[in-house]
Amino acid sequence: MSNEFNCAHARLAIGGDPHEQSPELSAHLATCAACTRFRSETLALDARLRAAFELSLAEFRKPARQASPARRFALAASVILALTLGAGVWLLNPQPALAGDVLEHIKHESASWDAHEILTASQLTEVLRVAGVQFDSSMPVLYAMACPFHGRRVPHLVVQTADGPLTVMLLAHEKVAGRVEFAEGGYRGILLPVGEGSVAVLARGGDVTDVVAAKLVSGVRW
Amino acid sequence: MNPRPRGTAVPSAFTRLLETLRPDLVRFAFWLARDRAVAEDVVQETLIRAWKSRDELKDTAAARPWLLTIVRREHARLYERKRLPTVDVEQVEALGDPALASDGDAGLEDLRRAIMQLPDEYREPLVMQVLGGLSTTEIAAELKLTQPAVLTRLFRARNRLRVIYGLAPAEDAE
Repeated sequence: MSNEFNCAHARLAIGGDPHEQSPELSAHLATCAACTRFRSETLALDARLRAAFELSLAEFRKPARQASPARRFALAASVILALTLGAGVWLLNPQPALAGDVLEHIKHESASWDAHEILTASQLTEVLRVAGVQFDSSMPVLYAMACPFHGRRVPHLVVQTADGPLTVMLLAHEKVAGRVEFAEGGYRGILLPVGEGSVAVLARGGDVTDVVAAKLVSGVRW
Repeated sequence: MNPRPRGTAVPSAFTRLLETLRPDLVRFAFWLARDRAVAEDVVQETLIRAWKSRDELKDTAAARPWLLTIVRREHARLYERKRLPTVDVEQVEALGDPALASDGDAGLEDLRRAIMQLPDEYREPLVMQVLGGLSTTEIAAELKLTQPAVLTRLFRARNRLRVIYGLAPAEDAE
């Protein structure tokens, strides 16, 4: 190509960034109908490209596949105590951000509530392995993902219980001082201290009963 | 300002920001990786890294490009670290991924498949520019290329897609 700004230069500039217009390109377009048409076509193509890139994400959820070392801790008896002492009491939320972040996460993964098929033991084990926690559920698990949460992977489960499906998040690194109840937008949940971490249990359009929560928490090992 | 009622949960602003931008990150990762599971892995790693580095983000208006940059780096790192095989172009097409479908717009679906079949060196800057909104200067810095090299790659990417769109390709002095 010669140094003079010609059609080849113009096509390269337009094809590289059709929205950018240098003074040289503007001057060229003012005298070249073919390149002006080329630019119009490329802008139209770009509009289609933008539409093409905007995929529907409805079916994007898949179980995570990466591993991290598992750690084990005994479940503190204080969990049951906290459950009992806290029953039916609305406390001033000492960890509002944590409860809020749990809710925010669950609202953005609301498709999890639509799961109806019981996961196999190996599917659940894989998710727990990724997060490095143990959960021996006596109830069917319908959904399990190792979700990013506060810089770590945490198991996000939906468990079929006698009270209906409940979401359970196993927060091995989120310590709470005591039982915390919270509610928002049709969700009701509790955060329960479990050893050095906590467990969030949430219901949608119902309540989390202490009996079921205790049963769920009793299966957790860090 | 009304106080929040007792027992009402308050998500942190940063969590809200991440959740809001997550769909964009998944799309961006998918177009880079051409594999849903890999895209999910990349985004999960990105969110973890972003959370740990959240103090670095001084201006929330810059969150999107900041996160997209992390996605791109995590994607590159994933392939380096795990030595994942690159996705074969024919294999991608054969997958018939429903994510590529569009409601009755066959042309859009064809365009998506054509983008999928672009070589990495052309597809990556195109994704960064059109979907990520990065300038050619920013793309050049991120890909460690000169700006003319980026312009050439973008020109060639669009030139290949012009044919799918029913347009004549421009002359290219390759």
